[in-house]
Amino acid sequence: MAKKTYDLLFKFLLIGDSGVGKTCILFRFSDHAFSTSFISTIGIDFKIKTVELRGKKIKLQIWDTAGQERFHTITTSYYRGAMGIMLVYDITNEKTFENIAKWLRNIDEHANEDVEKMILGNKCDMEENRVVSTERGESIAREHGIRFMETSAKANVNIDRAFGELAEAILEKTHGKELHDAPDRVTVDRRVERSSTRWC
Amino acid sequence: MSEENPESLLKNDAGKNKDKVFCTFCPSKVLNQGSATFVNIQFSLPYMQRKGDGQADERESISDYWLVEDMYTFENIGVSNTVENVKYLACADCERGPIGWHDLKTKKSYIALSRVKHA
Repeated sequence: MAKKTYDLLFKFLLIGDSGVGKTCILFRFSDHAFSTSFISTIGIDFKIKTVELRGKKIKLQIWDTAGQERFHTITTSYYRGAMGIMLVYDITNEKTFENIAKWLRNIDEHANEDVEKMILGNKCDMEENRVVSTERGESIAREHGIRFMETSAKANVNIDRAFGELAEAILEKTHGKELHDAPDRVTVDRRVERSSTRWC
Repeated sequence: MSEENPESLLKNDAGKNKDKVFCTFCPSKVLNQGSATFVNIQFSLPYMQRKGDGQADERESISDYWLVEDMYTFENIGVSNTVENVKYLACADCERGPIGWHDLKTKKSYIALSRVKHA
């Protein structure tokens, strides 16, 4: 049995209307030259990224909704085990911003109540097409008491910082507990594993 | 590629990878040193880039792989949707791939030596 090479495992979800650039946020280069590759045809299911915070090696497992949102089928099973949620809207699309409130209700209904949330105003398009001001984004985030950031997946602006901050917030919650509390996290690991049996 | 990087130079006495493993297209790190084991196993991976419409499903037969027992051993990895009990592996940052595959039955992952950079 290989020894564990990390301290903690966090499961993250990307949620929001289709077309807001969630896939973009999963760090995709939208370079046209590669748009016909095998991988882009079958699609990415999830990613594993490693970050180091306060001397701890943390594995982030990041899931995209993969279009399920179109059928309004994002339910409990998808949220199971999620510790962090990136709620994404497109700053060039008013409707995606209006739907943030709807997504927050959906999260309240289905996700673990202590899930850490962050709202991301994404701009896969150019600034000149902006219809949602930064202030409105900040305002809805303040209203719900959650973090907010504007990102540009294309320019890789704030993406790493957003993931880092969300991870930091989750770590913060568990901070103060002694190291022997780590087995607690292993339980989360198992939950993640179980929910991921949908791979089969 | 395999002539330039004979696998004997890339593995240590225990058969583990001596160097870190990176994406060949971007700086993304896939594996730390010593975290995977060299195996000889025949598996055909689709080409990284399609050359034209007619060659969409062409595959390359590869036999030199790094075996990764636990998926969370990866530093950074992108995991595709399932195709016939297999998930293909790609760079987590630029999504270029497949650089390997994940077997859903055994939960083991394999990275093709010829499709990554060792440094």
